[in-house]
Amino acid sequence: MTAEADALDAPDPHPVTGLDDVVHQRVRLGILTITHEARRVEFGYLRTRLELTAGNLSQHVAVLETAGLVEVEKGYEGRRGRTWITLTAAGSTALAEEIGRLKLLIARVETTDAPG
Amino acid sequence: MTTDAVPAGGDPRRLLSDVRALAHRVRLDQRITWVALLVLAVVTFVAIPIDAYSLHADCGSAADWITQPDGHQSCHIHRAGALVYWPPALLLAYGAIAVYAVRTARARGLGVRVLPYVLTGAALTVVFAAAWLGWRAYLGSHPVPTEPFPYWVMLLDRLVAPAGTIGVALLVLARLERNLPLLVFTLGYLVIVLVPVAAQWHPAWGYNSILGGFLPQQILNGVVLLAGAVGFAVARRRQR
Repeated sequence: MTAEADALDAPDPHPVTGLDDVVHQRVRLGILTITHEARRVEFGYLRTRLELTAGNLSQHVAVLETAGLVEVEKGYEGRRGRTWITLTAAGSTALAEEIGRLKLLIARVETTDAPG
Repeated sequence: MTTDAVPAGGDPRRLLSDVRALAHRVRLDQRITWVALLVLAVVTFVAIPIDAYSLHADCGSAADWITQPDGHQSCHIHRAGALVYWPPALLLAYGAIAVYAVRTARARGLGVRVLPYVLTGAALTVVFAAAWLGWRAYLGSHPVPTEPFPYWVMLLDRLVAPAGTIGVALLVLARLERNLPLLVFTLGYLVIVLVPVAAQWHPAWGYNSILGGFLPQQILNGVVLLAGAVGFAVARRRQR
């Protein structure tokens, strides 16, 4: 039997195996969602909406930035420092894939739970 | 504190529900619906005296009248001030809405969503001005039509008129804001604009009766926009 035939015989991988830890984390998924909707979002808005401390949020943003999913731009408005976060193309794709996997996972669970 | 202070993952249903709730919250925070409607209502109300002052009716003799299929008679009416007032007023209005949107979004810490709406509104204003100038150029080189225009021509005329372009641009805003109540409101507004209230007047009744025939529709357009602005402002206050 060839490797190709083995692949065809193998069952579909469970959606859980495709989940990306960077994106699947609840706060980071929230950051990506807000940034996707807002197109560009200020650090303070994220902190308020996600109810996080500045330090905690900074670390989550840093994880996403390192993964290339968001871009961080720091600047000043008057004397006040402002940090703006923008979603990258990779971030947009990662978010769409994560939501797709979550839907698949829910569908799989509902199918398994169904009686009969 | 680590990046894993909040438990990773979780129930997928809850995660999806959180995603949807956050997306909805951001859209609400980005909306500027009531301000746009208020600005457009003001522009519509200011137009009333200007349109009235610049109204010109060729109803001097019975020969100028057009007999409608239903037996009613009408005459040619020109709103000479339309091109002077509406294009600059609408462009200023859309400019003001854009400035408000950018400033508000920046203050709230969000990106701007409504710029395509502003550009659509401005483009439709240019279409209105071009149609108006084209029609005037046509009349300059052709005899004035003596037959009533077909219904579809009148419908198209109302659609590219300022009140119609305001409605079409609002459809774009409803799409951008994913705002179902605004979509319903705009469809209602467009019905009112495209199927105007019947103006009962006779050319022989003079200028005031002609003016009286136009006023109710313009006032209605303005009142609908103003009512929409108040309604969306109250709804927004309740959502906070």
